[in-house]
Amino acid sequence: MIDFSALPIIQQRVLLLAVIIIAAVGSILLARIINDRRRKAKGLPSGKRGGTSEQVQMDSLAYGSRMVSWSPLGKMFLALALIVAGLITKSALVPIATMTLGLALMAYSTNMRIPSILALAIGEAMLIMIIGCGMISIMGNPAEPAIWNAEILWFRIHMTAASFNQAWLVFFRAVAGVTLMLAFASSTPIPHLAQALRQMRMPKEITEIVVLIYRYSFLLLERMQTMYSSAQGRLGFNGFVRSIRTTAGIAVGMFTSALEMGDKAQAALDSRNYTGEFPIFRTPKPMNATWVAMPILLAVWMVLFGFYTEGLIDFNVIFFGGA
Amino acid sequence: MDIFETMDLFHSYKNSKVESLKNINIKVGKGKKTALLGANGAGKSTLFYHFNGVFKPKSGTVLFDGKPMEYTKDALAELRSDVSVMLQNPDEQIFSATVEEDIAFGMLNQGMVREEIDARIDEVLSMVGMTEYRMRPTQQLSYGQRKRVAFAGAIATHPKVLIMDEPTAGLDPQMAQETLEIADQLHIGGTDVIISTHDVDLAYAWADEIHVLRNGTLVYSGVSEGFYKDSVAVALAGLMPPAMFAIDSNLTEICGIGNGKYPHTRAELLSKMAVKDTKTGTLYGIPVDDYIDQAMIDCVLAHAEEGAAVGIYGIQTRRIAYKEALRLDYVFDGMENCLIEVMNGNDAVIYYDRSLSDMVIGKVVKVSGFGLKIPFEVRGGL
Repeated sequence: MIDFSALPIIQQRVLLLAVIIIAAVGSILLARIINDRRRKAKGLPSGKRGGTSEQVQMDSLAYGSRMVSWSPLGKMFLALALIVAGLITKSALVPIATMTLGLALMAYSTNMRIPSILALAIGEAMLIMIIGCGMISIMGNPAEPAIWNAEILWFRIHMTAASFNQAWLVFFRAVAGVTLMLAFASSTPIPHLAQALRQMRMPKEITEIVVLIYRYSFLLLERMQTMYSSAQGRLGFNGFVRSIRTTAGIAVGMFTSALEMGDKAQAALDSRNYTGEFPIFRTPKPMNATWVAMPILLAVWMVLFGFYTEGLIDFNVIFFGGA
Repeated sequence: MDIFETMDLFHSYKNSKVESLKNINIKVGKGKKTALLGANGAGKSTLFYHFNGVFKPKSGTVLFDGKPMEYTKDALAELRSDVSVMLQNPDEQIFSATVEEDIAFGMLNQGMVREEIDARIDEVLSMVGMTEYRMRPTQQLSYGQRKRVAFAGAIATHPKVLIMDEPTAGLDPQMAQETLEIADQLHIGGTDVIISTHDVDLAYAWADEIHVLRNGTLVYSGVSEGFYKDSVAVALAGLMPPAMFAIDSNLTEICGIGNGKYPHTRAELLSKMAVKDTKTGTLYGIPVDDYIDQAMIDCVLAHAEEGAAVGIYGIQTRRIAYKEALRLDYVFDGMENCLIEVMNGNDAVIYYDRSLSDMVIGKVVKVSGFGLKIPFEVRGGL
């Protein structure tokens, strides 16, 4: 076992603080570096400069997906049913199974070639969850015997077998949720999602706004990218204060651009006989009985599976030999 | 008969005291290729938005096809089905996520049946050369492709009038030429085409009639040369004389050739300036329906002098020529280039859409009218 408490208290505190900060900053930087390298390798602009390309990539994925013709509402229901099944059982095997299912769906959707943008998103989620779940694992019940016990700064570390297992359960639940939602998002273009919302009898004002935001977000991001490049070309990001000023200027510019774009869009919509509702020519498949029954059955099966496998995996035994 | 007429039209934008249009009395002739000319901010866009009822006059009347416009919901829906607008910036016009959905947008709003919409999407995509992009997301297209989609969306409704705002702005020269060919084809098919532009060269070469705006006021209506002869009016309107007009004026002065005619194209200028008794070649015209007969092509080429230049004119012909991988010398602006080849003493063969026959013959007659007679023979019909 780690005898952290044997260290002098000041060392313990500094060490833990350093670990937390390094883990947090490191995770973010690592994700950024991977992202930037991937973009540079593909000749794309850096990810921290607007991010238009990521949006377009997700959009391309959705339109090119083998699952694009599936009922959007059905896909959403399936993802939600599996997430809920993972949440209501205490067996870690259920979220592991749903995560695997999410990955399998993604692999099928992308024709067995999960693109780096999805892998990176899952990687980022994992890094973030490692920090969160790390915190859960060290905040165990003080009445229970500790695997690791220490006092650092004002913070008392008390990792128990239960908190350690709980941390892993939360981790798998979160990552399963991310993979399932990514499988849905990477196979469902936003207009199809809007159609699903219509089928759910959502107010048409909401669905129209969803479609318009989707369409105009690309245009506004394109404009922001142009402003950003232009400001950069005129040394607008030389120095911290100037960068803040330039960013503020771009934000104001975007606001006025959005207003101007809105005016022009209204005139153009009127010109094309817009009647207050965006019509759809190729409507995606509606939700049918199969799409209701299949996710429910799958979720029920997962819950039963969870019921019988609860406690089957003990991470304390795996990592610490059951101490 | 006029397709549009305005009487004492005034307009000002909301919360603005400045009048953007002042006492406009304009008559846009039916069956004429019309250009609205003016510098930036002259009021061209404001005026054409009055033509499809998006803007309502502050005072005055707008007549469409001889009838005063009504601004009720039903009347406007009917008007906008007849009057289509293609905006300068395609991003302002494209709302849907995919090419197919965007082209269908206007037709779905009109309540057209799906089978008809499906067929028209195919038709217009073929016209603008974007058939393979039907299912593509619109944000993944280049600017030129988006402009083609906007154009396809505007013509898919089969409007009576097509208003195009700066149709060639931002397009490469070949696509610009193709756009004008489609506009010609629509014009021949009975659609009144109005172009709003500050490109004087484009308007001079293309339009039968121009209307010039300056600071919201109509300063000229009529044939182009009438306006450009008044250099002060041209300068005040923030414009420049078209290159063809300026070259013709200078050459006329230097060479002393003054037949009172104003060439609008290169071929017309060369015909005017050519030395009398210049030996010309022959232009062989082959109207095309929906296929190309290779035997006929071989026959015509054999008849023509060896090395005859081959050009095409028209959307359908272009499509077939690409499919059949024909030998072509002039893919774009084929008619103009073939006429120049003939004036240079060479034979030339022009394949053209049968629907454009009158326009082809009209061009030959017009160029010949400038001085140099162009021998023209129509061969068969494919």
